[in-house]
Amino acid sequence: MNRDERGTDRRRRFETLCEILRPDLLRFAFWLGRDRQLAEDVVQEALLRAWKSLDTLAEEGKAKSWLLTIVRREFARSFERKRLEMTDLDALVAAEAGVLVAEEDSALAEMREALFRLDEEYREPLVLQVLMGYTTKEIADQMGLQQGAVLTRLFRARARLRQELGLAPDAP
Amino acid sequence: MIDCLEFRRRVGAEPSLAGSEIEAHRRNCPACARYQDELQAMDALIGRALAVDAARIGKPAAPKAARAAARPQWLALAASIVIGVSVGLALWISSPRISLAREVIGHVAHEPGSMASLVPIEPGALAGVLDPEGARLRPVGNVTFAARCVYEGHVVPHLVVRMPQGPVTVLLLRHRSVGKMVRIAEQGYMGVVLPAPRGSIAVVGRDQQDIDAIAQQVFNAVEWGG
Repeated sequence: MNRDERGTDRRRRFETLCEILRPDLLRFAFWLGRDRQLAEDVVQEALLRAWKSLDTLAEEGKAKSWLLTIVRREFARSFERKRLEMTDLDALVAAEAGVLVAEEDSALAEMREALFRLDEEYREPLVLQVLMGYTTKEIADQMGLQQGAVLTRLFRARARLRQELGLAPDAP
Repeated sequence: MIDCLEFRRRVGAEPSLAGSEIEAHRRNCPACARYQDELQAMDALIGRALAVDAARIGKPAAPKAARAAARPQWLALAASIVIGVSVGLALWISSPRISLAREVIGHVAHEPGSMASLVPIEPGALAGVLDPEGARLRPVGNVTFAARCVYEGHVVPHLVVRMPQGPVTVLLLRHRSVGKMVRIAEQGYMGVVLPAPRGSIAVVGRDQQDIDAIAQQVFNAVEWGG
């Protein structure tokens, strides 16, 4: 394979990865920052970084995890850069109503708002588990935590959601 | 045997948890069984809630295009790919058939470890994965992987069945109906999604010439309870 062909092949690989994984990356970034513009910016920057370092991706089976890590780091950078102050949750919920709205399904809308209000330390592992299908070990690796800490956060996340939604706490 | 406290601690963190200890406790404690069922139902709702429409998030904004133009050449190239992908994404979203194929392949590709084992799993473990769907798998091949996975915001059974022709991944997509058979051929994977009495069944393999016949065998082996 000559240089041009390698370049084309590299570009095709990247396009395929983006095409398959971009929706999940956007959702992940959105639930990290609870801001669709920030999510779009973070994913765009993350994909640019990913393109630059595509050769470091050893196995395409690990592409999702690799890209989520880049999105996570990019989000941390953006958050630091912009020094976002997200204290007014009601305003945030209102600002993102376009994404959160679930017409004809009040339970879904209620859950979205409850998730929106969940602390980040609980929201992120829950997103990785329920939306991304990660095991607790994979979440621990992704977040740099012990597996036990992840299990505790996931347990508390659900307990808080049950509480928020007015379900019996039923916690041990 | 684990007590109620331990059971609730475990399933509170992982509602889809299965296994002999969990199953044994469920049989002996209806309250805890109900608690796990409630958590699984809540997780299905959480999954749907988190699966916001990506198209609503990722609307391209004008300032970014201007910013991209000011970048070095390689960045501009990458940005053009991203924009191209956005267009592709819009087309993809507008085509449920293509979207379904890619979602299935995306899920299969995300779990390459599922193909690693050659050892048949315990019948109890398989039942733990299929029972919540009211489904059963008649003998058709060795099942070497069974898990309840999150797919499109729903918890679905994900199996690897080692057929005489080779291993295939099987997803029971109860939430996803298809009007007719949908073919999948991407990234070296080949498969079909078949309409089922409840939703659909995806059967995906690599390098199998007769995937249609294999899928039909798997389809015939799945029994749906009342």
